[in-house]
Amino acid sequence: MRLFKNPSIDFLSKRRIGYIISITLIVLGIGSLIIKGGPNYGIDFKGGTSVVIRFFEDITTSQLRNVLSSSEISNAEIKSFGPRNEFLIYIEQQRGISAAQMAEKVQTIIDKSLTGMDYEIRKVETIGPKIGKKLRNSAIWAILIALLLILIYIGIRFELLFAVGAIMALFHDVLITLGIFSLLNFEISIKEIAAFLTIVGYSLNDTIVVYDRVRENLKVLRREDLFNVLNKSINQCLSRTVVTSVTTFIVVLILFLFGGEVLKGFSFAMLVGVVVGTYSSIFVASPVIYEWQKKHGGKRKLKMAKRKRKR
Amino acid sequence: MKNKGIIKTIIIIGLLCWALYALYPTYKYLTLPAEKRTELEKQGKLVSLINESIHLGLDLQGGIRLVYEVDLPKLVEQLAENKDEKLDEILNRTREKMNISTRGFLTILQEEFEKENIPMNRYWGERGDSESRIINYLDDEAENAMTRSLHKLRNRVDQFGVSEPNLQRLRDRRILIELPGLSDPGMAKELIGRTALLEFKMLAPAEEFTQLIQDIDQKLAREKGVEQTDTVDTTESAQKDTAETETRESEDEVVSVNELFGESEKLEPDTGDVAEDSTVLVDKQIFEEHPFLALLRTGQGGRVVVPVNNVRAVSRIIEREDIQELYPENTELAWGSDTDQIADKSYKRLYLLKEKAELTGKYIKDADVGIGNQMQTAGSALVNFTLDRTGARIIRRVSSANLHKMMAIVLDNKVVSAAEIQSKLGASNQITGIGSMDRAKMIAIVLRVGALDAPIHVVEERRVGPSLGKDSINQGKWSALIGIGLVIIFMIIYYKGSGLIANTALILNLILLMAVLAQFGFTLTLPGVAGIVLTIGMAVDANVLVFERIREELDTGKTVRAAIDAGYSRAFITILDANLTTLLTALVLYQFGTGPVRGFAVTLSIGILASMFTVLVVTRHIFYFVTSRRTLTKLSI
Repeated sequence: MRLFKNPSIDFLSKRRIGYIISITLIVLGIGSLIIKGGPNYGIDFKGGTSVVIRFFEDITTSQLRNVLSSSEISNAEIKSFGPRNEFLIYIEQQRGISAAQMAEKVQTIIDKSLTGMDYEIRKVETIGPKIGKKLRNSAIWAILIALLLILIYIGIRFELLFAVGAIMALFHDVLITLGIFSLLNFEISIKEIAAFLTIVGYSLNDTIVVYDRVRENLKVLRREDLFNVLNKSINQCLSRTVVTSVTTFIVVLILFLFGGEVLKGFSFAMLVGVVVGTYSSIFVASPVIYEWQKKHGGKRKLKMAKRKRKR
Repeated sequence: MKNKGIIKTIIIIGLLCWALYALYPTYKYLTLPAEKRTELEKQGKLVSLINESIHLGLDLQGGIRLVYEVDLPKLVEQLAENKDEKLDEILNRTREKMNISTRGFLTILQEEFEKENIPMNRYWGERGDSESRIINYLDDEAENAMTRSLHKLRNRVDQFGVSEPNLQRLRDRRILIELPGLSDPGMAKELIGRTALLEFKMLAPAEEFTQLIQDIDQKLAREKGVEQTDTVDTTESAQKDTAETETRESEDEVVSVNELFGESEKLEPDTGDVAEDSTVLVDKQIFEEHPFLALLRTGQGGRVVVPVNNVRAVSRIIEREDIQELYPENTELAWGSDTDQIADKSYKRLYLLKEKAELTGKYIKDADVGIGNQMQTAGSALVNFTLDRTGARIIRRVSSANLHKMMAIVLDNKVVSAAEIQSKLGASNQITGIGSMDRAKMIAIVLRVGALDAPIHVVEERRVGPSLGKDSINQGKWSALIGIGLVIIFMIIYYKGSGLIANTALILNLILLMAVLAQFGFTLTLPGVAGIVLTIGMAVDANVLVFERIREELDTGKTVRAAIDAGYSRAFITILDANLTTLLTALVLYQFGTGPVRGFAVTLSIGILASMFTVLVVTRHIFYFVTSRRTLTKLSI
């Protein structure tokens, strides 16, 4: 069975549509981030206490809110967490109280308020305020360093221009994913950052496969101009790209649907990342190379196109 | 060529056997019926079986993760000499600034001293020591205190008997403690967080305490603008009772704290005491003229107790600096560590102690739990401890000089027990009145191991209940299985016979991955399971790269053998490049990540490496096998 028999879609001609879509999504995303004052940080980054409770009797969110409204944590955020009768209660870090004391206090208050009800505490997390800031810094550093390493690696394996194209594709991916998270108000904590970094790695996979083909074709198709080489390379990889993306997408979709509430943010990030990552390999990474070369001298300037004397 | 083929076959089968062998304990452990389990536990073999199985992270097993930070301000304060108010002031300011900035405490401290133009050697080090030398000294001390505390904490946790605890030093003078399988954090946190400073202090004479209470009363009453008409004889209130009951009929009235302190008093944020309603229970009869006394109750033998509701208000009063000036010389007030239940109400005891610690915990040689067998202590938990020679000598001297006076045993500034010295004391002693056996065990452990060199406090606490852990395992398991199933079906549909080959590689890939986790003791976390699921996707990717290439080569007319060879060799470079970059990001994740995320990075990395092996070596070998028997003209791909 074959999905594409010798495809010859002219991707590069359609690149302007790609630019429009990309820019729109990025603008929407950044706009959302600005309006909402930054990403929706999860407890890892903003501190506080969260408790996950499961009830063995039927209760709705508003009922629970009523029960807790007369206690001291009446201003806690309450949302449903996964299956029925399971809730996440989040209380912000209070000034002047340590993390440990918060955890104890919240427990006691909950015990007091919910006496007589049949429930079970599934998970408790308390994070002090300073840790949140430190983690945020770590996360940003992690992403920057990863991008730097990748830049260097591709610069060595291919050439600098390719590296730039790849990095732009990655920035593009992370920005759009962040933007979508902001638009949909999903929380970002350490796990989601891990997903972002994985998306970076995954998107890179795709991009490298295409670049690899381009490198090969530049040597083989000497008479063709860059436009055609790029197009041909993308088309030759199309079958592989689509198949891989689809299988990875399905696998992550299963994770999203069945992997439990804890992994929801992570798997959603991966879902978005797979789609965007594939898209960027075709509509960002290669067009960047083309646009640059158009301005700066065409195929001849590309190192990859030169005959290598050693080989 | 044929020989090479056989060697490779042997290697691959060998690896498979090793993998299955490495995974056998996990399989055994997971399929263990309950009775067999307890049997193994008794034989002491259960722990080793668990150790050989795949280690589960806290998010899959349930347990507690605590991160402690050394309380540098307190440590620095402890190390200071010639302490005075100025030092307090500077330390407080530094503490505040530290909470909002990410700079180090010592850096800010130095700045504050510079601003005040006071040399730091007024409080630390020798005369003439430069600032940088003192900062280094403090830094070193903090470092040492950290190391020693970590050591002691490890001892404490070991003795507590948790299976597979994990203690680690983290950056920025933090300590990570993970206790898997523990569902009740209370005792564990107490065990770890306790500084465990043990002191023996004499009680101040009862008359001094009474006088102090009256003094405070007068002062507060004067503040409220009320003249006291008579002084209430507090000993009178004790006469009516025989047993431990409420001393007299009092019309307890609930009074708001504002009323108590007058409107001008601003309510400060709660400092952490659990019972913190903003109302207090006072005896109406004496409240008006004796605002302090009204918050207390007196019991047998001049004992002073405070209803639990009033504890916070009393604390606020006795912590005031102007009130502290009223204390008799060299005394301090201290709370009891337990709560007394008298006739349905809870009380905390209050003591007036002499400040001087006659003996500290560092003279304790050994400590153990026991059960009381004396009349008063029958059946209750207590701690027996022995002092070393110096300690025994000291306590002999102190007890003979203070016969028939009251001595208190103070643990972390709370009075655990106070009793009359009836005879000369020796090396063996007891702490009674502890309450529960668990607490006694805990106190015995901390006494045995010793006090922490530096006070520590919790900055991060995560607790996962076992039910959530089990659910997570289930969900992860099902996701992985369904994912694998779908991929297997797809591969067969899309690549037919070759798809079958790819599937065997996939299964081998996962077995190898799990085996490495088990063999090398890597921890599997929930994100780690996600990593496994992702590995499936990546393994497919590698196969697809090869197969698509083979299809292309076949299209150009090459023979089956040649096409396969070309496919693999060409795809090799691409697979290498692509996987290496993912490995790079996994490495970064490992460096910057914490527990669960690290588990993800590890699983992903191993998965990728295993997939490279299974795709480039194993499937190729299978192809070789299939095509070496007879020359194929068509390949099922």
